[in-house]
Amino acid sequence: MTGKPRPDVNDAATAPYWEAAARHELMLPRCDGNGLVFFPPREFCPGCWSDDLSWQPMSGGGTVWTFTEVHVAFYDDTWADDVPYVVAVIELDEGPRMLAGIVEPDMASLAIGDRVEVTFEDRPEGVTLPVFRVVE
Amino acid sequence: MSVLDGIAIVGVAETAIGKLPGRSAISLQAEAGVAAVAAAGLAKDDIDGVFSFSGYSQAMMLHAARVAEHLGLRPELAVVTDVGGPGTHHAALMNVAAAIDAGMCTAALCTYGENGISIRRSGRGRAPGTLTGGEDFEAPYGQIAMISGYALFAQRHMHLYGTTSEQLGAVAVASRYHASLNDNAHKREPITLDDHQASPMISSPLRRLDCSLISDAGGAFVVTSIERARSLGVPYARVLGYGAAATHHTPSQAPDLHELGGPVSAGRAFERSGLTVADADAVYIHDACTFSVVAGVEALGLCGEGEGGPYAESGALALDSKCPVNLHGGMLSHGHAGGVFHLLDAVRQLQGTAGRRQVEGAEVVVAHGNGGVFSTFSTMVLGGGR
Repeated sequence: MTGKPRPDVNDAATAPYWEAAARHELMLPRCDGNGLVFFPPREFCPGCWSDDLSWQPMSGGGTVWTFTEVHVAFYDDTWADDVPYVVAVIELDEGPRMLAGIVEPDMASLAIGDRVEVTFEDRPEGVTLPVFRVVE
Repeated sequence: MSVLDGIAIVGVAETAIGKLPGRSAISLQAEAGVAAVAAAGLAKDDIDGVFSFSGYSQAMMLHAARVAEHLGLRPELAVVTDVGGPGTHHAALMNVAAAIDAGMCTAALCTYGENGISIRRSGRGRAPGTLTGGEDFEAPYGQIAMISGYALFAQRHMHLYGTTSEQLGAVAVASRYHASLNDNAHKREPITLDDHQASPMISSPLRRLDCSLISDAGGAFVVTSIERARSLGVPYARVLGYGAAATHHTPSQAPDLHELGGPVSAGRAFERSGLTVADADAVYIHDACTFSVVAGVEALGLCGEGEGGPYAESGALALDSKCPVNLHGGMLSHGHAGGVFHLLDAVRQLQGTAGRRQVEGAEVVVAHGNGGVFSTFSTMVLGGGR
C-alpha cells in the first residue's frame, strides 16, 4: 500500500483551491471580465484568456451529471479497501463540472440528476478533498 | 488537392496476439515492421522514414529513433505521433504524406504495439492511471482507469437515451463472432448475450465483456507514393478523406454527449472525401469498450443520435449486414495494442485479403474513433487501388 494519489497542493494556480478545501470551503476562480466560473483553476480564464480573476466561494450545491460504481481495485491494492466506490461528475450550481466522490451513496436510488451538496474528506495523506452527499 | 492524395498504404502486418511472455514492445513492433516491409514487396534498404508510437506499457521518449536503431535504419525522419486511439496512426499518415511531398522520404515504415500483459510480469511497466491528465483532480478520487472514464459516458447515454446493458452486449457478441472468423484474434471462442450479462461488473454499467482486451501485440504498415505503389504491383489503400477533432483531455472536462468530437471528425472526413457513410462497405470503430461502438455508429451517421443501442441490437454490426463494424474482432476480441489493427484490417478489406471476414468487392472503408476518454477523434475514409 503506497497511499492514495495526492494532488499537488503547491501548484501556484491551484493552491488557493486546496487551501480553501482544508478550511472546508469550496472556492473557484471567476473571470472578472466575462463572469465565467471555471474548473479546474488555472492562471487565466479559458473563455477569454483574461488573467483578471477573483476567487469566489461556491454555494456547495450541484447535481449528479453522471457516475460510475467502480468494482475493481485497478493496478494494485491502493483502492482494495474502498471497492465498490462511486466516482461522479458533479455539475455545480455555478456552472462548472468537476469529478468527485459521493459519500455514503444509496446505490439502489442513486441517479443522474440527483441533488448533492459538498462536504469534505480529510485524508490521512494530509490533504482535504471536496466530496458530495446526496440531499433531499 | 491534399498531400494525402499522393500516398498509398502498400503493406500491413501483425504479430501473434495474446500473452507473449518475454516480448518487449520494441521487439513486437520490429517484428511487425519487418513483415510489413515484406508484404509491401519492399526491402530493408527501401525504408527511409520511421514513424511510430511507443504505446503506454513501455512509454519512451524518441520512440521512433529506437525503432530505427533496433531495425538498423538511419532515416532522415524518425517521428512519433501521439493523438490517442486511431488519431495516432492517422496523424502518422499525414506526417508521412507531408514528408513524401517534401522529398524527405520515399517509403515509410509505421510501427505500433505494446506488451500490456507481459510488462506486468516484468515489473517494469507503469499504470496508465495519470496519463489522461487527472493526477490532481481525478486520481485522488479513484478515477484511475480508462474504463471508468468510459463508464461515466455509458451511464449518461443510458440516462439520456434509454440505452441498455443488453444493447452493449450485442456489440460484444458481434465482435466475438467476427473474431471467430479471424485466426489471429486473441479471443476467438464465441460468446452469447447471457455470457455478457453474467460477466462481472467492472465499473458500472460496464461489465468485463464490455471492456477491450489487454494484449501483447505489434502491428505495422508501409506507406509510399501512389506512383511507387503502382510499380510494386501490390494492391494498396488510398486516403480519400481525413478529419479530426479535439475537445478536452480529462474526462470530467468533456462536453455533453451530443457535443463530443465524433460527429465533427466524421463530418470533416466525409466532406473532404466527397462521400457519405452510405458509400462505406465496412467501418472500423476504435472500441475501448462496447459503448465506444454505440457512440461511433451514431457519430458516423449509421443511425441517429441516441439510437446506437437499438442499432447494435438489430444485428447491423455483423458481417452479413449493409455496413459491418470491426470485422477483425476489434479491441474487444481481436486484440488491444493501441488500436492500429482497425486501420490494418481496413486496408486488408480494400486489398481483398481479409479471408473469411472479407466484404466482397469492398471499395470504401472507414476507420474512426477516439483517444483518451472521447478526448480526440479521428476519421479516415479509405479507398482501394492497384
